Amino acid sequence: MTSSSPYATVMDDGQLTGRPIVLPGAGPFGGDQEIDEPLVTGGKKYAQVDQDICAHTEQFPTGRWWIAFAIAMAFLSLLGFGVLNLVYSGVGVVGTNSPVGWGTFIVNFVFWIGIGHAGTLISAVLFLFRQRWRTGINRAAEAMTLFAVACAGIFPLLHLGRIWFAYWLFPYPNDRGPLWINFNSALSWDIFAISTYGLVSLTFWYVGLLPDLATLRDRATHPWRRRLYHVMSFGWNGSNRAWRHYELAYLILAGFATPLVFSVHTVVSFDFCTSVMPGWHTTIFPPYFVIGAIFSGFAMVITLMSVMRGVFKLKNYITINHMESMAKILLLTGMLVGLAYITEFFMAWYSGSEWEGFVFRNRAFGPYSWAYFTMFICNVIVPQFFWFKKLRRSPWVLFIVAALVNVGMWFERYVIVITSMHRDFLPSSWGMFEMTFFDWSILLGSFGLFFTLFLLFVRLLPVIAISEVKGVMDPNVARGEG
Amino acid sequence: MKFPTAKTGVLGHFMTPDEALQAARQIRDSQYSQFDVLTPFPVHGMDAAMGLRRSWVPWATLVLVFLGIVSAQALMNYVMVIDWPMNFGGKPFFAWPSFIPITFELMVLFGAIGTAIVAIWAGKRDTIPQPPAMEIETGASVDRFVVWIPASDPKFVSGEVVSFVESLGASGVRLVGVKEGPDAQ
Repeated sequence: MTSSSPYATVMDDGQLTGRPIVLPGAGPFGGDQEIDEPLVTGGKKYAQVDQDICAHTEQFPTGRWWIAFAIAMAFLSLLGFGVLNLVYSGVGVVGTNSPVGWGTFIVNFVFWIGIGHAGTLISAVLFLFRQRWRTGINRAAEAMTLFAVACAGIFPLLHLGRIWFAYWLFPYPNDRGPLWINFNSALSWDIFAISTYGLVSLTFWYVGLLPDLATLRDRATHPWRRRLYHVMSFGWNGSNRAWRHYELAYLILAGFATPLVFSVHTVVSFDFCTSVMPGWHTTIFPPYFVIGAIFSGFAMVITLMSVMRGVFKLKNYITINHMESMAKILLLTGMLVGLAYITEFFMAWYSGSEWEGFVFRNRAFGPYSWAYFTMFICNVIVPQFFWFKKLRRSPWVLFIVAALVNVGMWFERYVIVITSMHRDFLPSSWGMFEMTFFDWSILLGSFGLFFTLFLLFVRLLPVIAISEVKGVMDPNVARGEG
Repeated sequence: MKFPTAKTGVLGHFMTPDEALQAARQIRDSQYSQFDVLTPFPVHGMDAAMGLRRSWVPWATLVLVFLGIVSAQALMNYVMVIDWPMNFGGKPFFAWPSFIPITFELMVLFGAIGTAIVAIWAGKRDTIPQPPAMEIETGASVDRFVVWIPASDPKFVSGEVVSFVESLGASGVRLVGVKEGPDAQ
């Protein structure tokens, strides 16, 4: 019984084809039966899953981890340096100035918020669509969401100029009038959208962690460590009476997170499209931003997973089939983003608006055409490689394409923000935008913050949702012994 | 001599979810009502096999969602219409379309976080008391599908339950949560 499962013999990526396994004569009427390939390879037992995933939270970090952590910390200190200078001297140290009043801070903000979206998409939308392959990657993708939101959150605060008044953004009774925030402003919607997104993502991630924290507790040998995980998991013992509520709550959270993730980037796009700037004032912005966010987020997930599955020896759990599925989503969303770019151009011409037409001609063929074509090539042309199955299943091609998409999506936001502002209605007030040293240090530093947090996460918590992975394994292969 | 405590009960484990499902059905049909099954991951169909009804958590969510909507509307209407009405080009103070994004966000915020708290609390409340996980080492977080019949079950009779759980095909059947005491008493 144990060895009769066709999954027992699939040992690694080399045996996965990305196509169904055909069982000759196994169908109900004597014909062939096709079954999906296993989501976990290597003939793993349930107990081995715990060992493979928990082990690196229980031992001293490897040299490679320390090297990566040192590099991330170096970039993080660059952020500290940039932010200190900015707060001490004022926003004049960065390139933001007239006529480009929204500089790299807004570019970075939109970029990082977008990165976060794939995590929620994987954990919530793919959950509702019953895509079982999400179990291998959802934990790390949700962590990525949290850290990306943390990075994104810095930028609007820095953009305020006087960061010590950041609490004025929230409505609370005060002795300044009372002077309330203006709820008719898209910027105030954004505060609520981002705060809600951060908190709900954290809740979703933590609820998913509960059973795995109990696993860590049961494996722990040190009494304090055991106590800590016991408290963190709220004394989880795997009772089906608790699973009953847990599962339904998880479904509801997924149901909330799905419209939430679409609403967040919609509201971010409202920051632009409720203004009267040509190039921003378009109704395509909400869907265009949402799809771009998912696109960029999946690129970041592919980048992180390519490294993580190798470094932590998780290729049995994040198989090449998982990577191929993500590549397919990248191809689809890349084409949707391309459609949005082309639609924008079409509408600029078809609307007959002189200003709109100028802005788009200026975008593609003006002084920032290099940025426009970097964006277009990275986001629309490069993902087309993924039409070929062989390339979708090549780790190096995946890594390089995903990295280029990350670059392209940063430039998309750069193009949207900078090119609409640098040449407005009056040619006398035209200008160019230059990034200063501090723009660069804060941009690169935000990557430092992101990777520092991510490296701490992979050290301290299970990077794969253990209980969910066990749920998609074949019990005939994975069953315990004794 | 061993004495029962509030956390006394019988444990036995299975190796696959299907065996545990089958056992749960049999325990349910033998008129036990307080038993539990501890599993490393949620087992599809276990609620029905244990005779549990669907969770009531969504009703709590419904209440929380309304609370979120009402809070958001109350806040924005108070600020924008009553306390600090501002004239933007003669537009109405009660600008309901621009209140929608924040109403939605607060609805999600209250609903999601409240649901998580309620579900964790409800799970704790419904879980039948057991000796601490580190003492009894059920293995339910690893690869065991554990049935647990506590002494608090009205039908519980210590010797019979052990043989009953063994008859279901469970391994490692044992009585846990009993307190050691002096034999003379």
